[in-house]
Amino acid sequence: MSFEHPDAPQAPLTVTNRLVADGFAGTWEELEPLELPDRAAFFARDNLEALRAVRHQREHQRELLIAAQSRFEPALVDDLLRLGLTVVSGGGENVQEPPTQRATDPGRIWLLTSGSTGRPKQVGHTLDTLLTVRGKQPPRTWLNPYTPGAYAWWQVTTLALAHPGTSMVCVDGGHPWAEIAAEHGVDAASGTPTFWRQALLTQRDELAGVDFKQITLGGEPVDQAVMDLLADAFPNARISWIYASSEAGASIAVHDGKAGFPVEWLDHRADEGRPALSVDGEELLISSPNRGDGVPATLRTGDRVEIRDGRVHITGRLGSDEINVGGTKVSAGKVRDVLLAHPGIAWAAIKARKAPVVGNLVQATVVLDDKGLTEDDIIRYCTEHLAETEVPRRVRIVEEIPLKESLKSDV
Amino acid sequence: MAQISRDQVKEMMAEVMRRQNKVLPESEETPLDEIGFRSLDFSELALRVEDELDEELNFDAPGLRSIRTVGDVLDFIDELQKDL
Repeated sequence: MSFEHPDAPQAPLTVTNRLVADGFAGTWEELEPLELPDRAAFFARDNLEALRAVRHQREHQRELLIAAQSRFEPALVDDLLRLGLTVVSGGGENVQEPPTQRATDPGRIWLLTSGSTGRPKQVGHTLDTLLTVRGKQPPRTWLNPYTPGAYAWWQVTTLALAHPGTSMVCVDGGHPWAEIAAEHGVDAASGTPTFWRQALLTQRDELAGVDFKQITLGGEPVDQAVMDLLADAFPNARISWIYASSEAGASIAVHDGKAGFPVEWLDHRADEGRPALSVDGEELLISSPNRGDGVPATLRTGDRVEIRDGRVHITGRLGSDEINVGGTKVSAGKVRDVLLAHPGIAWAAIKARKAPVVGNLVQATVVLDDKGLTEDDIIRYCTEHLAETEVPRRVRIVEEIPLKESLKSDV
Repeated sequence: MAQISRDQVKEMMAEVMRRQNKVLPESEETPLDEIGFRSLDFSELALRVEDELDEELNFDAPGLRSIRTVGDVLDFIDELQKDL
């Protein structure tokens, strides 16, 4: 299954695949395409607008970037205009032309990086490189909780565009969605660990009505505790985790229900379309055929890994995962995993806190499932499971799991 | 500008020690190494004070090396607060 080059005869859309988004319920065929300029950066106000733009792109194979309206800001707009894109917002009412015209790169899909480490960059893909699930798929109704235009949003959307029998229900992942999922027969969903933890904490009763067959995690380090929680809550579901980004493309998919991936996967040559994975120092390196256009053949991901018990665990970003406490290196990911393994803790985030003498101390922010837990209880538990320098010396208990538009944690 | 009293800081110091099943002695002359109050504990105390004040303290202030006793800790926190 693939999307053809625009010069090749067009395979039909999987027109019978159903879509639900923002009041629309119907098939791709019934969805009215949104007319856009040949090279468009489209800021979508909701999922329906974004899907209409996809429908147009699928038919006309022009050049398209989709971003949520919430990302609209002058510096980004300037970058997109310089890229030669016509910036369209407000449902098509606001149009800004680029200073110079250029030829269209047919079929080009532009994605924005998250911008968490600076200004968002534009990464070139096509519908074909975004479609990372190949081969025959069982009929599924996928929940798409991601922000329109995000890499993960495209992954679910291309699945629903290309695979017969794959339907898609788009929701705002930051709001309760379980009842909508149950109503529309959702049986597969992809989300970050933070997204899933929040759902289990706040929508557990409603989720009883959703019979998941497939649950996928990604976008953040995936710990064993959240996989076990999901396996327990949804016994009929296969629990998978993936490593994917707009730059690296989809690179790792693990379906055995365990955190980390087998160490044997490292240092294999890329073959049959599979990415090659390696580690340099503590950094994960990926050579992926699914990478974005212009991305180095071997991408330094900036993600830190630890190898333990025959598995390679991605613990967090290199810059923030390692905390120097009095000259001792502490892995924030390790501390977080220990806290998340506590049955009374629903969510945890770890950060370095500048301190005298030792330079930094570990600070934890947690959301409790067991409201009876105290700061003392948590520190005592950590003392039993962690080295002295790893134990969080400050613990903030907050009421709600913070969730960004990206469905990641904002702490 | 809000300040935390010496007694309040002493109470916080006692709390840091209580977590480790230790007791802060009455005498401010007591050497820190005698009661097992170490650098990690001192750092925790400073962060507790920061949290209470809701202000960042300037930990680069001089005088850190001369901290030997319970009283030195309390004096140092006093000094830090004067810089706010």
